[in-house]
Amino acid sequence: MAVLQQRWDPLSRTTRFHTFACRPRRIFAAVTPTTRTTTTSRPDRNLVVVEPRLPSSSSTPSSVARRKTEIDPSELESTWAHRAWVTAGCTTLFVSLGKALLGSFQSHIWVEPSLAALLGYFLADLGSGVYHWGIDNYGGAETPFFGGQIAAFQGHHRFPWTITRRQFANNLHALARAVAFSVLPLDLWNADPVVHAFACAFAGCIMFSQQFHAWAHDNKTRLPRAVVALQDAGVLVSRAQHAAHHRAPYSNNYCIVSGAWNRFLDENKVLEAMEMVIFFRFGTRPRSWSEPGSSWAEEIQTSRADTEHLQAS
Amino acid sequence: MACISLPKPPITSLPTQNHRNPSPYALPISSKSSESQFYGIKLSTTAAFSTAPSSCPHIARRGLIVAKVSKGSSPPSFTLKDQDGKSVSLSKFKGKPVVVYFYPADETPGCTKQACAFRDSYEKFKKAGAEVIGISGDDTASHKAFVKKYRLPFTLLSDEGNKVRKDWGVPSDLFGTLPGRQTYVLDKKGVVQLIYNNQFQPEKHIDETLKLLQSL
Repeated sequence: MAVLQQRWDPLSRTTRFHTFACRPRRIFAAVTPTTRTTTTSRPDRNLVVVEPRLPSSSSTPSSVARRKTEIDPSELESTWAHRAWVTAGCTTLFVSLGKALLGSFQSHIWVEPSLAALLGYFLADLGSGVYHWGIDNYGGAETPFFGGQIAAFQGHHRFPWTITRRQFANNLHALARAVAFSVLPLDLWNADPVVHAFACAFAGCIMFSQQFHAWAHDNKTRLPRAVVALQDAGVLVSRAQHAAHHRAPYSNNYCIVSGAWNRFLDENKVLEAMEMVIFFRFGTRPRSWSEPGSSWAEEIQTSRADTEHLQAS
Repeated sequence: MACISLPKPPITSLPTQNHRNPSPYALPISSKSSESQFYGIKLSTTAAFSTAPSSCPHIARRGLIVAKVSKGSSPPSFTLKDQDGKSVSLSKFKGKPVVVYFYPADETPGCTKQACAFRDSYEKFKKAGAEVIGISGDDTASHKAFVKKYRLPFTLLSDEGNKVRKDWGVPSDLFGTLPGRQTYVLDKKGVVQLIYNNQFQPEKHIDETLKLLQSL
């Protein structure tokens, strides 16, 4: 089945169309069933046998491998509603940016707005991590308001590569909607350039975090040079850092703007502490603690191009 | 500080938070840690943590709580059910060093790492002639599953209601939201030789206890 694919690349300023003339070949692979508990010293391996992280009994690795899961290509396409929400989000951001620039120009204050914008960018990475952690670990498709995002991220863990095939507005519309509603009141009732500089940078990075996320999944050779350079410089989340998020134990590297907070959050076990507090307070276990059943098994769909992509990366 | 002032209501009414808490792991832990840190290490080297004699285990006067077990003291005895439902008393282990480690709960990331680290070094503990006992508020069925899943070669005891945890004065972490992770090493005479507290570096408990056991 031919799938017409639109890839919108903001930095290259081009819109590329990819036509897959042949039906994509699929490779199914359960994520390596490893133990979640590793310790540095294991003097006697005969004594210590760790049960592997196998999928549930009803879903053995072979059955996972056999299972054919179709992804409806239309799920990856942008609709007019998606585009409308992205347009709305971008409009509120441009208004905020304009107010920040205009206010700075009129008041001749540039340092504070610049610092505010930097702070916004820096904190957006933290915000993206906390949000990503929350929807990865708690709730479900039926959760009010966040259900769609939770289901989408669950699907993303099974089919990580699809994010690179998702059209631009399809990928960003949910966050764009949140940004539109959050920034609009500021646009209407606030004129402080410092506030706008912060809001514009923070909300902009949050909204485009899904694009940064998609780039973190893509092959280096298929990304614009500018994006690769920004990833390598740590301005955008790197492919290597985000790849670690998709490996067991699936409980680290949640931040998807610059990834600057990942090391701090992981080394200090901040999110693990929050999971523990939630567990003892509400009795809710995060998904990352549980055995990865079939829903955590990554299934790799690949066309010939994708195979090359995987080999290259 | 050994003494911690508690707001009213005092210790006896604290478990009432359970009605708001659906978690079976609700914390009736009363002692807030002033020593246990988020990422920190506490090696108890003095008896300053407690001013209470070990012969007077229950002290909750005028809203003051005193940690009972300190280095050089004999901890309160206990009898708890192990993973097979058998009653186990601390006194049973007299005559050999004992490592008693309190941990938050079975099947949580840090506790699994800690249990597996104890398991992986178990031969070293046996060589030192020491017994390892883990204690948490989980029930025996949970312990049984935990032991089976990770092939743990040592005893896990169910301290449902966290009575022993309270009696021993194990401090909680993160402003009382988490049960503390604290390890005690008792010598052959049942006297505490080491108290080690570290919530988020669970494997370090093994290194510290082994270091101490090898010096005994």
